[in-house]
Amino acid sequence: MQCWAVVAMMVLGHAASHAQINIDLIGGGAQQIPITVLPFGGEDRFTQRVSQVVSADLARSGMFRLGSQGSVRPFPSEASEVDYRYWKNEGTQTLVIGRVIERADGTLEVRFRMMDVARQSQVLGYAFTVSVTQLRVTAHKIADLIYEKLTGDVGVFATKICYVVKSGETFELQVADADGFKPQVVHRYKEPIISPQWSPDGSRIAYVSFEEKKPIVYVLNVFNGTRKVLASFEGSNSAPAWSPDGMRLAVTLTKDGTSQIYLLNADGGSLSRITYSQSIDTEPNFSPDGRYVMFTSDRAGSPQIYRMAVDGSGDPERMTFEGGYNVTPRHSPDGKSFVFIHRSEGRFNVALQDIASRQVQLLTTGSFDQSPTFAPNGKLILYASLLRGRGILAAVSSDGRIKQRITAQAGDIREPAWGPLLNNRRKESEQ
Amino acid sequence: MRHATFALLLVFFLAACASQGQQGAEIEQRDLFDQQQAQRRAQEEAKAKAEAEKQAQILREQEELKRQLEEQQRRQAQTGRVPGDEQPVIRPITGTTVGEAQLRGDPWTQLKEPGSLLGQRSVYYDFDRYDIKEEYVPLIEAHSKFLVGHPDLKMVVQGNCDERGSREYNLALGQRRADSVKRAMVLLGVGDKQVETVSFGAEKPVAFGQDEESWAKNRRSDIVYLNEPQQ
Repeated sequence: MQCWAVVAMMVLGHAASHAQINIDLIGGGAQQIPITVLPFGGEDRFTQRVSQVVSADLARSGMFRLGSQGSVRPFPSEASEVDYRYWKNEGTQTLVIGRVIERADGTLEVRFRMMDVARQSQVLGYAFTVSVTQLRVTAHKIADLIYEKLTGDVGVFATKICYVVKSGETFELQVADADGFKPQVVHRYKEPIISPQWSPDGSRIAYVSFEEKKPIVYVLNVFNGTRKVLASFEGSNSAPAWSPDGMRLAVTLTKDGTSQIYLLNADGGSLSRITYSQSIDTEPNFSPDGRYVMFTSDRAGSPQIYRMAVDGSGDPERMTFEGGYNVTPRHSPDGKSFVFIHRSEGRFNVALQDIASRQVQLLTTGSFDQSPTFAPNGKLILYASLLRGRGILAAVSSDGRIKQRITAQAGDIREPAWGPLLNNRRKESEQ
Repeated sequence: MRHATFALLLVFFLAACASQGQQGAEIEQRDLFDQQQAQRRAQEEAKAKAEAEKQAQILREQEELKRQLEEQQRRQAQTGRVPGDEQPVIRPITGTTVGEAQLRGDPWTQLKEPGSLLGQRSVYYDFDRYDIKEEYVPLIEAHSKFLVGHPDLKMVVQGNCDERGSREYNLALGQRRADSVKRAMVLLGVGDKQVETVSFGAEKPVAFGQDEESWAKNRRSDIVYLNEPQQ
């Protein structure tokens, strides 16, 4: 933990994109946690200011209210420098301080502490040894630690998202930090790209490309840029979904007639069909325990969501009953609920359904929402929407209270997929 | 013409039944006490059942289509016109939609003949539907007759959807739209290998507004002849 130098080093086939992304917070949580983040000592020598990234992460989550930075100069950067009486008078409850220290070997040490002002004690304290290029991801990591300590949930600031940007006739699959920064193009082509899905270990993205003039499923390794065909059977190949262990994928194929769901190994072998209907069966999504697949089917005349056992035992169970158009099911990370797109009065919105109680909550109010994807902590749902005819991404908290809007400066942005927690992060959250 | 189509379908059914019979024989040999095999057997049975249902369904649809054809011919004979407010059906080609002369000579010239239905290359649909509306039946008949007359020609039917809802569901729906056009053409005697289908889902819109006018233009199947020279 003291030495944290391993970050996803993305070796990407293309240069970084010109398309920067903006995120606006709309609304906030009912109870926001007050916190004051002070500038870190020595951070202003670098373009990437750690405390600013931490503050932006916390603010954007809608869970925190950032307090005034006070009038004490220089800002305290070590525990011994904190004047608790002053901060108590300021009404501060939690104070975040830190330093960035340049070492002789060129590496940086980023230290941060979170102080409880009333108790005059340290709540959190970590030091990271990183390179200059890792300052931003280190800041996300710090924001995650603060978020976890104060909310009890896993932080997702250091995760990745991917999405498709259409500019003119060009389609780009991009990977970015969860805050939309550092977008990188991992695949670019003059034919549509849809349905990107992260492998559970975050190393690969399965997606559908029309570059061969028909839909084919590819798997791209985001670390080394290599790509291989996963499913290219006669007819249409689409809707890849990873099993939770990353060993298998479910895909939709039309090789035997209408769109049906099949399983295959991550290397493309061992194909087996799991749905047998004369209708459309598509958009498979594994339950987190790997036992079930939810999917969209029009077997009852209109598209509805069904759930079946992956081993094919039993009949598929219909999950949605309200309305004539329910599509794109995605399990929550805890497996207790799922989000989907529900059509009502001509609007297409993100809805959340509790699996046990079947209670449905409409989370969004747009007109053309699609492609919902859960953050790995289950607290936020990222989805695609339209704003004045342009594709944007938006996020909503799973209680519907917090809303964010994410816009690309150029082009249409769509088909988001939220990446997993990295392995080391998952272990920490279990500790 | 119609008799030939049904004869072909009959051959297809017999072939399908034969392959199912083979599957049944395989199942009998399996060890019933092996749980894994039993599970696999259950899956095979489900599959066989689904296949049987599929065949039965096709058979039912054939019967229904045949019934509709006869019904319509009967009414047409009575009233002298095609009722427009009924479920769309595929009529046998009457020879009036495409002139006999069109079956000879350069096909590419024929395709561009002014006023010909062959110039129309798109079939449009209602939201979340893939059934062919009555008004597009003559267009499909014209292209079918043309393909029957030129068995060396091939076409791709490209299914498309409007942008609303799910991209993946739309991809599947677009496939059904394209497949429904192909199926109608094959029923009219076009060779199965002459028509390929592909779906572009909602990914290749021709109109970009967020209104019914644009969406209606995007819910379509496009007929594209392979190797047709561009003007």
